[in-house]
Amino acid sequence: MVGVFGVGKTCLVQQFVHSIFSAKYHSTVGVKIDRKAVSLDGTDATLLLWDLAGRDGVEDITVSYLRGSHAILYVVDGTRKETCQQIFELRDIVRSAIGDVPSAVALNKADLASEWLLDAGDERKFADVGWHALRTSAKSGEGVEQAFSWLAREAIAAGEKPS
Amino acid sequence: MTTGTATGVDSFGLTDVGRVRSNNEDHFVIATLSKSVALEHTSIESREAFDRMRGSSARLFIVADGVGGRPGGELASGTAVESLVQYISQTVGCFNSADVDKENEFLIQLEGAVQRAHERIQEELGAGGHGPSTTLTMATLIGSRAYIVHVGDSRAYYLHSGRLRQLTDDQTMGRYMVDAGAWTEDQAARAGVGANLTSALGGSEMLPRIGLVDLAPGDTLLLCSDGLTKHVADEQIAAILGRGEGAEATATALVRAALDGGGSDNVTVIVARVSE
Repeated sequence: MVGVFGVGKTCLVQQFVHSIFSAKYHSTVGVKIDRKAVSLDGTDATLLLWDLAGRDGVEDITVSYLRGSHAILYVVDGTRKETCQQIFELRDIVRSAIGDVPSAVALNKADLASEWLLDAGDERKFADVGWHALRTSAKSGEGVEQAFSWLAREAIAAGEKPS
Repeated sequence: MTTGTATGVDSFGLTDVGRVRSNNEDHFVIATLSKSVALEHTSIESREAFDRMRGSSARLFIVADGVGGRPGGELASGTAVESLVQYISQTVGCFNSADVDKENEFLIQLEGAVQRAHERIQEELGAGGHGPSTTLTMATLIGSRAYIVHVGDSRAYYLHSGRLRQLTDDQTMGRYMVDAGAWTEDQAARAGVGANLTSALGGSEMLPRIGLVDLAPGDTLLLCSDGLTKHVADEQIAAILGRGEGAEATATALVRAALDGGGSDNVTVIVARVSE
């Protein structure tokens, strides 16, 4: 999972894996790793979720943490419009490090409807680069299961393609 | 106490009973886990694979704090450390840091090793979470990557470019209530049950958290029991680590600071400094 600081990457993982939400912000240092067993279309799989420390203005994301990734979930904070542009900068870093892998973007904090700043144009930018974008809320759980499941299916399908 | 300098890491561990308690329920270990290939004779032209294996080693750092107020806390932390050294030494041998595909398998095995240590404590010292229990903070350093496994309220920190960062989140009732938005930090600090563990090896709940961090030359890793953090603020820890002294002098200064601050609990630290 990749994004700038405070967009809710850790909260999304906690909601997906443990069905809990913490309003208290803890910045991630290094990588936090969680595991979840899923069944997708009759296929059992274990997802290992690497939650990378967000770019925080002091330190950029550490490229070595991306090594071996089978899929990337980019996370944007829908109440901070600048995180939309920043995610494309991070995308360039990721692509130069590991090439193209299945990717999606979570437009997070969808529960904060009155503070939502993204418009159709922003969401179109993601579609233009081939990203599957969907609104998520780590607080309510909206879209969380769908985001991880979509990405897992894509990763499994990519792994099954003949090289 | 123990010391060691290998593969560019200067490390030192120190434990002290403190100024109040009569026995020390903390344990720690620093170990080097080696797998070596002494090539004698081969028909294979490329020796690259063998060269990769030569001198390959992992460093293992563990701090465990037996839960006070219960009989056998010292036994629980000792059993955890012994079990983990045994299991990890079996596990790490199959992992080469250059092998990306094996890394996730290794992470699962690390978690499995902690689970087995938890079960062993319950089997030997009391089942169902009614016997003694222990915290655990463990770092396995392979190459420059430190794999951290954490249970309870012992902590791991690292100092990078003068900036101290806490790698672990305390698994305590106070932390849980603050995260849930039910308590303020002040309420958590004042509540009698705030320091109670929500997760411990041998306890009724054991929820290991796993993470990793890549260390750079000059970085310092610190593992410690809460006997340090009860009395020494993060700013003071950062100042002591930031002096740039060797691991032994740094560990000694940290324990001294905890004792000067009151020494109400056993205090244990491991300092591992990556050579510049």
